[in-house]
Amino acid sequence: MTRRRVVVTGIGMLSPVGATAAECWAALLAGRGAVAPVPDAWRRYAATTSTIWAPLPAIDWADRGIGRIEQMQLDTSGMLTIAAAAEALRDAGIAARLVDPKKNTHVLDVPAPDRCGVFMGTGVGGITSFVGNLANHVMSPLPLDGVDPAVLPPMPPRFSPYAVPAMMPNAVSALVGIRWSLTGPNLTFAQACAAGTVAVGHAYRAIASGAVDVALCGGAEYLGDPYGGIFRGFDAARTLAGAGADPARANRPFDRDRTGFLLAEGGAAVLVCEEWEAARRRGARPLAEVAGFAETFDGHSIMMMEPSGRRIADMLTAALDDAGCAATSVDYINAHGTGTLVNDEIESAVIDRLFGGRPLVAATKSLTGHCIGASGGIEAAVTALSLARQETHACGNLEHPIRDLRFAREAGPCRIDTAITQSFAFGGHNAAVVMRSVG
Amino acid sequence: MPSTADIRERVENTIVDVLKVDAAELAEDRRIREDLGADSLDAVTLVMALEDEFGGSINEADAQSLATVGDVIAFISRRVEEKALA
Repeated sequence: MTRRRVVVTGIGMLSPVGATAAECWAALLAGRGAVAPVPDAWRRYAATTSTIWAPLPAIDWADRGIGRIEQMQLDTSGMLTIAAAAEALRDAGIAARLVDPKKNTHVLDVPAPDRCGVFMGTGVGGITSFVGNLANHVMSPLPLDGVDPAVLPPMPPRFSPYAVPAMMPNAVSALVGIRWSLTGPNLTFAQACAAGTVAVGHAYRAIASGAVDVALCGGAEYLGDPYGGIFRGFDAARTLAGAGADPARANRPFDRDRTGFLLAEGGAAVLVCEEWEAARRRGARPLAEVAGFAETFDGHSIMMMEPSGRRIADMLTAALDDAGCAATSVDYINAHGTGTLVNDEIESAVIDRLFGGRPLVAATKSLTGHCIGASGGIEAAVTALSLARQETHACGNLEHPIRDLRFAREAGPCRIDTAITQSFAFGGHNAAVVMRSVG
Repeated sequence: MPSTADIRERVENTIVDVLKVDAAELAEDRRIREDLGADSLDAVTLVMALEDEFGGSINEADAQSLATVGDVIAFISRRVEEKALA
């Protein structure tokens, strides 16, 4: 059987730079990054080295179809997921009919829900609400302890009966499949910072092979626990950007003066992918073709990238092979580009070696901060939008590039026919998706 | 202190939010499980929503005793009177 072609027909996105895909895209083109001091309350628990992060904008959950009861039941990562998926479905022009008001479930206007899959990535799933439940547990000892409750820090009012389903990483995929009655394969990928890219890649493969016809794919993450414990974990690993003299300039991937990455409060992006012919028949407007995917593993260290970048180069070569295109035809690379000293050095060297100075290189994290498991989904969405609109956002705060590559220094129109988005993760996972213009 | 009518309205709104039933169905003798279709997860959710609406916490034994809409209104009214809930 010949391999079927796959197109992106809808995008939904929430990130520190915007609460919708349109807001995120406008902020990226305008170079409006997100950076703010961490919440004051966190200083009660630790004097962290970094004191800045990228918070989410205010999100009206009720306006996104998530009422007060669901807000009580779901982890914020789940709410981000549903909001992004609902927006992606609307953008794709796929109608949803409410079938159960109590469960808030819908049926989509697609020929076969049994052949519609969900492929989502997440780094930590619903850990944030579990941190709250754990605090409630630890801070409300039974009276026989003789501990004076007055000396204990604030805690959530209850240990939630929804603690387990809110915490499960697979909730980000299950919520989408339940809400829109999609009963094909439903998978969650947990390759940390590469999870979203891995999810999009596996969705592409499932459509290309004929296993499914439609896939909702991407990534979701929420990291803002009330005590700053998750932030502290990344800080303790010495991965975060220091605030420096000007916090607005602290997030600077690929710059000589970078000091680490800016942790985001969270985010989500969902892409609707469909088999090209079926999408055409229903009159969908394709944004980009997903043309290739590859993944490799470093087998080196749980936290450090393998210094030669050998398996990243292998992955890029395999992804280009899968898409049937040459390195010389790549016009745009949405880099992993975190801003940590070692990662940027290795990534820029691999790009230089394989592609030279030809492709534009954009680092979306320079504006959104690092959304961990959501970042691959967000960057796949940004890559698809760059192909659809034929323009790029610029790399934030890039003043002294560490290598002579064609970094996107200014936002604006550009010719992009072939694009790559790539991600690397703690653990050693590398993943890249190749996309092509449909215009 | 909120009036009885105010408590009744807030309880009814909370039940409607959780169970997605018509407010007109909420006569005091309606049973939450049998008549309004609440399953065990709905019952747990209703207790959480009542705690959020009125503040404070409702223990397991009290929660188990709330069989009808009237039981809930009476229980919340009594607790508000005792100033255990707002």
